[in-house]
Amino acid sequence: MEYVSPLDPRVAQPVRPAPRPAGLAGRTVVLLDIRKARGDEFLDRLAELLHERGAATVRMAKETFSKPASGEVVAAVPLHGDLAVEALAD
Amino acid sequence: MVPGLTASLPALDGPALRLADAVGEGPAVLLFVHADCPTSLLALRRLPAETPLPLVVIAQDTLPEAARLARRARPHARVLVDVPPYAVSREWDVTTVPTAVLVRAGGGPGRRVVGWDREALAGLLGVALPDEPPAQKPGCGSRWTYQEQPGGLDELEDMFERGWSDGLPVVPPTRERVEAMLGGRDPARSLGRVPPVGGEATLERVAACAVLAGCRPEHFPLVEAAVEAALDPAFNIHGINVTTQPAGPIVIVNGPARERAGLNSGMGALGPGTRGNATVGRALRLCLSLTGGAVPGGLDRSTLGHPGKVGLCIAENEEASPWPPLHVERGFAAGASTVTVLACDAPLSVSDHRSRSAEELALVLARAAEATWSPFWWPMDDDTLFVVCPEHAALFAAAGWDKQRLRREIFEAAVRPAGELRRGETTPLVRESCDDESIHKWSDRERILIVCAGGEAGRYSAVFGPCDGMGTRPVTREVRWST
Repeated sequence: MEYVSPLDPRVAQPVRPAPRPAGLAGRTVVLLDIRKARGDEFLDRLAELLHERGAATVRMAKETFSKPASGEVVAAVPLHGDLAVEALAD
Repeated sequence: MVPGLTASLPALDGPALRLADAVGEGPAVLLFVHADCPTSLLALRRLPAETPLPLVVIAQDTLPEAARLARRARPHARVLVDVPPYAVSREWDVTTVPTAVLVRAGGGPGRRVVGWDREALAGLLGVALPDEPPAQKPGCGSRWTYQEQPGGLDELEDMFERGWSDGLPVVPPTRERVEAMLGGRDPARSLGRVPPVGGEATLERVAACAVLAGCRPEHFPLVEAAVEAALDPAFNIHGINVTTQPAGPIVIVNGPARERAGLNSGMGALGPGTRGNATVGRALRLCLSLTGGAVPGGLDRSTLGHPGKVGLCIAENEEASPWPPLHVERGFAAGASTVTVLACDAPLSVSDHRSRSAEELALVLARAAEATWSPFWWPMDDDTLFVVCPEHAALFAAAGWDKQRLRREIFEAAVRPAGELRRGETTPLVRESCDDESIHKWSDRERILIVCAGGEAGRYSAVFGPCDGMGTRPVTREVRWST
């Protein structure tokens, strides 16, 4: 029986994960705040732990938690650091 | 035949992925499993956090089943889903799960480990596995081998197997049914991409969802308008589709379309019982979850959801209402047919058979709304829907209140000093205000929508709390009857 699929087979947008870094010392980590409540507290603590391991941090933020980051933010993240952490909170 | 890596499989953590991109240059290991196999569960739970070779889990399941499997096993690996008819598992000739297959550099198949064999799998993965019993355990038959059994699966079961369902049986979208649903419309015309995965809502796919939902062709113009409205950026369907909040879209129909599509706006207006109401809302939901990939437990991250998320379509009882209908308030001609989509929580019923004044009844409605979203979260920024029953509407009308007056009175009645609101989850405004400063439940009275619906006897209205903080606004679209 032939059916009409409600699925779009062309949604594939493969993104290959970058290799894991060998270490954090000397690296700059972008901490991306998605602007959810208390996300800043989570990132504050993460920054402390990263600093203890010799990494520098840069804070950036999405415009709002409820929508995908704008193209500007997505493009800016790799310009400001070697690694990125996106905070989800509540 | 040498199995290939060209197939594109849905992923639990994002958009669909080509197998070649998931395994990289190779070598890598594919681990085939399915959700009904205890040995698969055992293998997934024993996977190490990291492996020298890339490891990709391939679940022979529907998306919801694969999501449940991943939640139970929490494997340390990417999970791709080989949905029915399990083409990848067939191509790789995997007849038992779990089966781990080495993919050589360049893509060819290497040795394989069938069932749970701790030492053999550790050797294949190049990493030690937990030294816990059992060391070996037989696996289960691959899903596709079930389908080869005499009798096979019937059509309805096939729909479940494909994941083309919301948990209830669906109507299989045969080519003939979809063409009848389209009624001559261009099947390739796109209404836009549906978040979160960005599947393109061609009219053909929307029609397939309408067939699955049980719509008749006369319902399709409403489904088309509802999908179009939901994809308006102002509605922010991306946020609504992936949020942990319970909210989902509600479709409100106004104008002649209500009669033409056989919708119920009277007794039992919020359901159940009427095909048009039940199926139009369901078709929108299926489009969001199938074409858009907002599968509960997958990319739809709603903690609880609510029963109305299966589909919720109501019609305003314009004949029993003393007020201009919603679409006229929103700038459309009275004779136009429209759908309005709105993101809402489950309804809270408000019984009131005793109020004798409009002021008293407005206070009752306001008090009910105060409990929505979160009792101490004041103000709310997104839209609340009041469905006012005809008897309540008549009481307001007898006092000379129009919708705007009722909106104002509800807004003014839902006000508290900030000092009473510093409990649990509250807003920055409440935290920063003086104790005696008045805070309203809504940031703006225009965030209150009112429609009249329901039977003409009985004094039960309802309030639908908002999908608050989502930055979503109601969107109205005119229904196009011509092709």
